[in-house]
Amino acid sequence: MREATSARVAHLLREQGYNAFVITGGLAAWRKAGGPTEIVPVDDLVLLPTFS
Amino acid sequence: MESILALIARHGYSIIFFAVMAESLGLPVPAALAMIAGGALAASGMLSVGWVMAICVTAMIMADSLIYYFGRTMGWWLLALLCKVSLNPETCVLRSAESFYKRGRTTLVIAKFIPGVATMAAPLAGSMKMRPGQFLIYDLAGALLYALVYVGMGYVFHNFLSVLMHGFEAAGHLAVLITAVAAVVYIGYRIRTYLKNRIYREVPRTAIEDLRRKLDSGGDRVMLVDVRSHGYYDAEAHRIQGSVRLEPNNLAEKLHDLPKDREIYLYCT
Repeated sequence: MREATSARVAHLLREQGYNAFVITGGLAAWRKAGGPTEIVPVDDLVLLPTFS
Repeated sequence: MESILALIARHGYSIIFFAVMAESLGLPVPAALAMIAGGALAASGMLSVGWVMAICVTAMIMADSLIYYFGRTMGWWLLALLCKVSLNPETCVLRSAESFYKRGRTTLVIAKFIPGVATMAAPLAGSMKMRPGQFLIYDLAGALLYALVYVGMGYVFHNFLSVLMHGFEAAGHLAVLITAVAAVVYIGYRIRTYLKNRIYREVPRTAIEDLRRKLDSGGDRVMLVDVRSHGYYDAEAHRIQGSVRLEPNNLAEKLHDLPKDREIYLYCT
């Protein structure tokens, strides 16, 4: 199912009284429509170990 | 089983090469069988044991380098994909990465003997940016060990070859059975998830155009939230401009940070 995660989270948020929506097509559709993106700030990254 | 032996006797090296390569790429090909047969044929003088070894090792190194490179360029995508079926993808990714970091070098050497790990080791080493030279050394060690064990087994026990082959045949049947059971369980799980997800389809959706119009006309009442469970492992990862991350597997803890008086727009990949 497409948008599975966002739909699940939106459903939960709505149950808690938040005004949540799902963006149709997600990030892929946003990019395709030429929407602006940004590089994820370093602080937000989940750092996994690397050998280098 | 005799037909496999006859085939290998005739086309020898090329069959061994492609069987070993295919297995290294993750295809369900019994390369061990081909290597045992190669060893046995070498013992009976039909093939050269040196060439059989060289061909096995070359095939493995070529295939492994390819998927290593794949891992290197695709970042954490593969691990994230493999962890997708786990109960907590985020933890699965973190734990697997840490465990491979600690034992990665050893894993590369013995991975070929462990079903499931065999094909993952090389691309993971790539994802974790193991240096190519280092990767090649450990992969070479692994390939040599794997080839040595099975070619050696065929070489030493070539008189008991038919017994061995039957053993492998039985093991093969068992593997097919296990795979079939796993496939059925997985399909059942997907159907259950599908049915469970039906309620989520009632959630209101917004088309990109509508959202952008809303953002353009002063979007201060709008909040964009990224709920991808992965996509935050690679430097240079992108997200929608002005969005915040909500890690979907720890929802309960993070919920309180969200405003109730704003429209919250969620997206994943």
